[in-house]
Amino acid sequence: MNDQPHYRFPPASAYRLNRCLFALKSDDGFRARFVKDARAAMGELGLDAADAAALLRGDRDALLARGAHPYLVFMADLRLRMEREPVSFEFF
Amino acid sequence: MLVGAFACAHTPQLLARPGTEDRDLVLRVHAAFARVKRRLEALRVDALAIVAGDHVEAFFLDAVPALAVYVGTECAGTFGRYRYRFPIHEPLARSIVEQGVERGFDLFYTQQAPLDYAFYVPLHFTMPEPAVPIVPLHVNVYLPPQPTPRRCYEWGRALGEILRARPERVAFMASGGMSHFPGTDRYASPEFEYDRRLLDALKDGRGRELAAVTGEELDKMGNIELRTWATLLGALGDAKADVYCYEPSWHHGNAVVEWVP
Repeated sequence: MNDQPHYRFPPASAYRLNRCLFALKSDDGFRARFVKDARAAMGELGLDAADAAALLRGDRDALLARGAHPYLVFMADLRLRMEREPVSFEFF
Repeated sequence: MLVGAFACAHTPQLLARPGTEDRDLVLRVHAAFARVKRRLEALRVDALAIVAGDHVEAFFLDAVPALAVYVGTECAGTFGRYRYRFPIHEPLARSIVEQGVERGFDLFYTQQAPLDYAFYVPLHFTMPEPAVPIVPLHVNVYLPPQPTPRRCYEWGRALGEILRARPERVAFMASGGMSHFPGTDRYASPEFEYDRRLLDALKDGRGRELAAVTGEELDKMGNIELRTWATLLGALGDAKADVYCYEPSWHHGNAVVEWVP
């Protein structure tokens, strides 16, 4: 595992999962719908049950194992936290 | 004319200032950015060409350009409550695309793509007053396979020739770096020694060494974004770096550097 690159070619099998993470990162409307009803939002993008379960658990390792791009996992999580805790920035 | 050259960190924590960051460290990087801003004002630049790696904001897996040029009238991006809009120097952007293609670089161009924070974090702090139009240049760093550092260096050499032949006073800025591993197990342990060795080489004017580094090494060292520096260095040849700051935070090697082209 240590010899694996940190950023790997994103497998086509993970396209929908990465599409969902991309939308959570960059699409304010989608992120708001996800916060309101995550299952319905994931349904819009056709995520399968295993992807949806990993995303709902926030299980980074499972998401990476399913082909998610590490940066997208990281930023989707950050943007969701920014949405839920907007006062946690600009401390100085 | 190519009148100035800079490399700037762009980690969004410099802008958003979350409580996880070392306040004094962030303010030292801000002070280095302020020096860049004053230099850009002293150089009386007409335009700023900025090369950055889109963080899967403008370019998702639907279309993954290796090298792209923004050739619209303006560009805009948002990150939470931060919103930016910049005019593009259209004649300069167009000549970069046309002459780049003439020189053998099969460039992607866009007249309407969102702007990533990799562009506007440094611009937030360094845009001279009065503000100047920009030309955003994208190098793929996050979606493998990325262009090799050598290819980036060659593209930078062509860019240097194109910029030097232009009538405008242009500054060239690379955004990104140094070592960091967002989204991986290495996030809290960057390769600071690698950064310091590289900065020593750049201070000696050995920028061309970055062209010989492999993509595998960049990935291993948390420095996939240094493809933007390789692009800049291609335009600079053996110019010696003036390192304004190198500030290693708990997750990121923050560097601000100037070269006299």
